[in-house]
Amino acid sequence: MKLVVSQVSKAYANVTAINTLSFSVSQGEIFALLGPNGAGKSSIIRMITGFTKPDSGKISLTIDGETFDAIPSHTLGYLPEDRGLYPERTLLKNIMYFAQLNGMSKADAAVEADHWLDKFDLLVRKNDQLKSLSKGNQQKVQLITAVIHNPKWVILDEPFSGLDPVNQEKVVTFLSELTARGMTVILSAHQMAMVEKLAHRILLMNRGEAVFYGKLTDFQQHAKTQSSLKVTFTESVVHQVEEADYEWINSKTLKVTITANTTLSRLLLSLPSIGDVANVHSESLDLHQLYLNAITNHGVALDEK
Amino acid sequence: MKSNKSRQLWLVTSWEFIQFFKWKQELASKLIMLAIAAMVFVWQYVQDDSEPSYRIAVTQNNGEKLADEDAVPTDLPAKIAQFEFIQSSVSASSLATTLSEESAYDAVLLYSRDGNGQRKLTVYSQEKQAWLPLLQQTLLQHYSIVYAEQLGLQAEQLSLLTTPATFVVNFMDDNVREDDGVSSATAIGMIVLLAIGVFTSFGQLFAGVTGEKQQRVTEQLYSCISAQTWVDGKICGQILHGMKAMVSSAITGLLILAFVTVIVKGQALDFSFLNWALVPWLLLFALAGLYLCTAFMAAIAAAIDDPNHSAKTSLMLLPLVPIILTFLSMDNPSGWALTFLSYFPLTAFAAMPVKMSLIDVPFWQPLISFCLMVVLCLWVRGAAGRLFKMGMVMYGKEPTLKDMLRWVIKSEN
Repeated sequence: MKLVVSQVSKAYANVTAINTLSFSVSQGEIFALLGPNGAGKSSIIRMITGFTKPDSGKISLTIDGETFDAIPSHTLGYLPEDRGLYPERTLLKNIMYFAQLNGMSKADAAVEADHWLDKFDLLVRKNDQLKSLSKGNQQKVQLITAVIHNPKWVILDEPFSGLDPVNQEKVVTFLSELTARGMTVILSAHQMAMVEKLAHRILLMNRGEAVFYGKLTDFQQHAKTQSSLKVTFTESVVHQVEEADYEWINSKTLKVTITANTTLSRLLLSLPSIGDVANVHSESLDLHQLYLNAITNHGVALDEK
Repeated sequence: MKSNKSRQLWLVTSWEFIQFFKWKQELASKLIMLAIAAMVFVWQYVQDDSEPSYRIAVTQNNGEKLADEDAVPTDLPAKIAQFEFIQSSVSASSLATTLSEESAYDAVLLYSRDGNGQRKLTVYSQEKQAWLPLLQQTLLQHYSIVYAEQLGLQAEQLSLLTTPATFVVNFMDDNVREDDGVSSATAIGMIVLLAIGVFTSFGQLFAGVTGEKQQRVTEQLYSCISAQTWVDGKICGQILHGMKAMVSSAITGLLILAFVTVIVKGQALDFSFLNWALVPWLLLFALAGLYLCTAFMAAIAAAIDDPNHSAKTSLMLLPLVPIILTFLSMDNPSGWALTFLSYFPLTAFAAMPVKMSLIDVPFWQPLISFCLMVVLCLWVRGAAGRLFKMGMVMYGKEPTLKDMLRWVIKSEN
């Protein structure tokens, strides 16, 4: 069971929301869609869920020999970007309603509702009106309504937004439990730190296009290759460094950017010929910085086109 | 875990119904209805069956006793029907005392003659009484006979004088009912009930749809049910509310009628004016009419982003047009206007039941009219579903009428 998005494009009026985007999601993984506001994350999610259709390209999902052009509703659990439930009804009634709409029996729904409410420390408030809860807690209830029926595919659009750090961690634990139950999770987020803890693979998007697509470990490897080395000499020296992307910060400090073409051993051997080395300090970009750099570079490249 | 569409439809219907069902208020209103019904029922058995009688003190204009102390005027017997006339010496100054609560008299009759010898009867009563018109009618009838006798007229001659001609209206259309007053009342009653049903269901549906849209519940619902199932469920829930409002109003109306008839007027309960054969037809047409109106409202409400500022809210008044047209056409139930309206599917739900209550209609006429409505309902269901699906996911802006007309024909993504 694999979801394949192939060369998909979508435009609204004169604005291109998605431009020839391709990726695939395998069963059982946590796949993260990353990107700034307006990157096209929600647009692609709406196509995957079948709310909208691509203008061109193809989305396909094969389940038990049957091929679908979107995730079929009976296998889908969805937390939309535009959130909302019925504020006048109780937590339990809201959850039971969606559980039963998704095909659960009343008895099963009641058991599962208690389980998830307990996980989110909301069990004691299950008979309170939804509107009496804080916004963050309401979001947790909506997360429960999205997954209570144990769907095969869970799509969460910005599950961390509006949550404090404590509750963000709870959602991380919650998502781990979903994968432990065999669910495939596709989520969109801004928070690189949260994604780093969870996602097996990511698709970094900007202005409707893919900036990076692959395993998180590849992305991290990519980050390492873009680390830099700061060398401090005992005396003022200004010298050319061969086969390296370098910059003199001051007369004593040299900054060398390590790229795929840089041979670290040769670089280190060449340092004494420049001067007496007092200190060598390695600086690597974290995922968040890489995310920002990638988006910025992609934006500049698009503008130059 | 595949969801059954009919189960989903039932879940949405019951959710929609319960959302607007305030059980405490419902219980209170039903208890009041039951109390009135019980009161009417008990009243019929506990009230005194004998006709009430009233004691009327008779005196002369000048406040003195009548000539003969032992008798009322010779032209006024001691008792006519339920009125007892007793000679009394009541002066103008003692009227208040005579008519006080402790008094043995219900009224004082001042008996005098004017310069031409014509009798003048003035009645004094402490307060307004339901039997006063009856007293007037009784006395005038009595003196008609007295005058007739003085003029030497026979009873037949007097009868001819009071009823000089018989006035009969015959309709060439055999279908027109003789008792036109009752038929018209029934027809107006039906229009009022339909208006109550339509107002209730489409008002609540409007609030429900715009509310859900503002609460951003749409996408989560779309992920588990189709837009068509959702709108079908909402329409069914509101039709139930509309029918409940119609039935409740009908029962309340009948109870008020019973209350007035039995307790206020003291008459026997009589619902013979009700045409029970019409009730199944009324229910069928009401169902179809409520469906059309609520489906229309669902489609319009889904396209409204902000109910406080949308120009589309004026479209809400459109479902009232069939009711108003029917009301304007009911003076001539066999005329072309009501005939056309009773077959035209958009207006038939109001016009045909009204026509049926005014004149006898062959069985095939409402049948054809109803079948045409069912065909329209099926088409409207699909169109409303498409409009609802598109409208509910549009946030921040509203579709134009051109967009909406395009969606009526074909859904877009």
